[in-house]
Amino acid sequence: MKLAFQLAYRNLIGAGLRTWLNAGILSFSFIVILFFDGLIDGWNKQGIRDSIDWEYGQGQLLHADYDPYDPFTIDDGHGKIPESERAASVPVLVRQVSVYPEGRMLSVKLSGIEAEQKLLKLPTGQLQKSEAEIPAVIGKRMAKVAQLKVGDRVLMRWRDKNGVFDAQEVTIAGVFSSNVPTVDQGQFWIPIRKLWQMTGLHEEVSYLIQKEPKAVSISGWNYKSQNELLKPFRELIKVERIGNSILFTLLLGIALLTLFDTQVLSIFRRQKEIGTYIALGMTRWQVVGLFTAEGAMYSLFAILLGSLYGIPFLFYMTKAGFGIPEANLQMGITIAERIYPVYGFSLIFGTVLLVVISATVVSFLPARKIARLDPVLAIKGKVL
Amino acid sequence: MTWAVMAFGLCWYTIINQMDTKEIIRIEQLTKRFRDGEGEFTALHKIGLSFGRGEFAGLLGPSGSGKTTLLNIVGSLDKPTEGRVTVLGKDIARLTHKESAMLRNRHIGFIFQVYNLLPVYTVFENVEFALLLQNFSAGERRKKVMEALEWVGLAHMPNKRPDKLSGGEGQRVAIARAMVKRPEILIADEPTANLDARNAHAIVRMMKQLNKELETTFLFSTHDEKVMGYLERIIRLEDGKMVSDEWVNVKTKKT
Ligand SMILES: Nc1ncnc2c1ncn2[C@@H]1O[C@H](COP(=O)(O)OP(=O)(O)O)[C@@H](O)[C@H]1O
Ligand SMILES: [Mg+2]
Repeated sequence: MKLAFQLAYRNLIGAGLRTWLNAGILSFSFIVILFFDGLIDGWNKQGIRDSIDWEYGQGQLLHADYDPYDPFTIDDGHGKIPESERAASVPVLVRQVSVYPEGRMLSVKLSGIEAEQKLLKLPTGQLQKSEAEIPAVIGKRMAKVAQLKVGDRVLMRWRDKNGVFDAQEVTIAGVFSSNVPTVDQGQFWIPIRKLWQMTGLHEEVSYLIQKEPKAVSISGWNYKSQNELLKPFRELIKVERIGNSILFTLLLGIALLTLFDTQVLSIFRRQKEIGTYIALGMTRWQVVGLFTAEGAMYSLFAILLGSLYGIPFLFYMTKAGFGIPEANLQMGITIAERIYPVYGFSLIFGTVLLVVISATVVSFLPARKIARLDPVLAIKGKVL
Repeated sequence: MTWAVMAFGLCWYTIINQMDTKEIIRIEQLTKRFRDGEGEFTALHKIGLSFGRGEFAGLLGPSGSGKTTLLNIVGSLDKPTEGRVTVLGKDIARLTHKESAMLRNRHIGFIFQVYNLLPVYTVFENVEFALLLQNFSAGERRKKVMEALEWVGLAHMPNKRPDKLSGGEGQRVAIARAMVKRPEILIADEPTANLDARNAHAIVRMMKQLNKELETTFLFSTHDEKVMGYLERIIRLEDGKMVSDEWVNVKTKKT
């Protein structure tokens, strides 16, 4: 075993450029796998943190008729704040309204939130500070669509609890930047007290955001733990991972095919050498071991080489982040404009293991043939 | 007490007698056939031969007469179809892959027509290779390799690569590689076929000296006149049959 690696090492070093080309290709897939997997891990981490910070808090209590994914439930999906939960949560009431920026009509979700809240990163402090009659904060995606900026006034029309239309100007008190599109796209945030006044739905909420995790069961309300709320996002990450593994399989497959090719060619070209090894007293399986070790060593060289250019690159990326193309930001998925990849120990270790094992197997397959080689013909170079 | 001494003495007698046995290769009724398309081709036909320790013998015969085939069987790279070949007391036909690898590694050195040096290794490493398979320490290996390189006059270029060597130097490295483990038997298949006259003479003279100093049995195949002059025993093959076996260039016949 040790001998095989000693010899393999000498052979690969002796082969020079060919070795480094192979190792280069393998190392590239190694680094790409690490990078993209790290990227997904980073996205996962950031996404979960952002979702908690901007939207989910420590869990939510939703009115039984309210479904955040179904706008038709907004009208009826609200009820009086359960007294027991008042202090432990941030109340939110959702209404469907229209705004008219520059004469266009936009249908938006109007969320009234307790302006004093500190739980979410939503800049509700700006609502408190504003002296406008109806101050609102919006996300930058909303701001872009409605072409609004801080200080702009825009006409809003809504129905009160009796279905009677009313209209008034809203002042943009702040534009925030969040990676969570569901608190941004098509949405205005105003103080909940104001919304209660506007609609007459005093003390009513669509959902409550918990400040501390606590499972509650109140009839007429649905409790969703933070974990349940994060489930769709986790599913999405899972799907992304599958997509990535397909990419990795292809990439690694190509690298391994190159290695396989090298091995086949090398066994063909080195018949005399194989015969010589046997004449010098190696057993056939020792020679098989030698060629397999050479293949395995390619992967070690690949990891070495990959570390050489990969570590600076991967490390730089954790600092600089990876810019997500604009197009992807519009898709309503929680994703930051910059993702900072995270490389865990298990990711690195797993990838190293994957590369080494697959390279070893791929080298063994053609090398197996050596065991059936006639040494007499091999010495003459006449076998294959 | 007396019995014990006698038994002990008998044991020693047997062991010493065994060690003293001159014959190290015995070939009996050796026939080798190769599959040849539909039928079979007989490369060696009922060969009977015996070689003792320290012989310097050559197989002569035209191309295709079976020289290489015979050497390969003696070297345990191939097996007899019929008959029996015994090398150092071991029946070649019965050896496992592992045992025959061991036999080659410890006791048999090979020299080929093309030197079959390992291209990515230096001169030193090529010679060292045979020792790597055995459990010598790095220091021991170094000593043995340098000694072998002295034998062949190449101690001044241990770090050269095979592709930088001349033909004569290449073959000398091959000799050093074959001899470094001090094998009982050295098999040389047309070792001078690719060499010019000057190098051919030098190589064979070198081998003859090693033959005398180390008591290694040399077994050649050749059709090179220059080599013939050094041989002590010439065995002629034709179409796989032995046609003559004579002692030459020596005053007294050994067998
Ligand atoms: N592996 C083999 N398969 C079939 N025929 C072989 C094989 N090896 C040798 N032969 C045949 O056996 C004969 C003797 O070959 P060889 O021993 O190489 O002769 P020499 O070394 O005297 O030139 C030749 O006719 C050769 O073609
Ligand atoms: Mg021949």
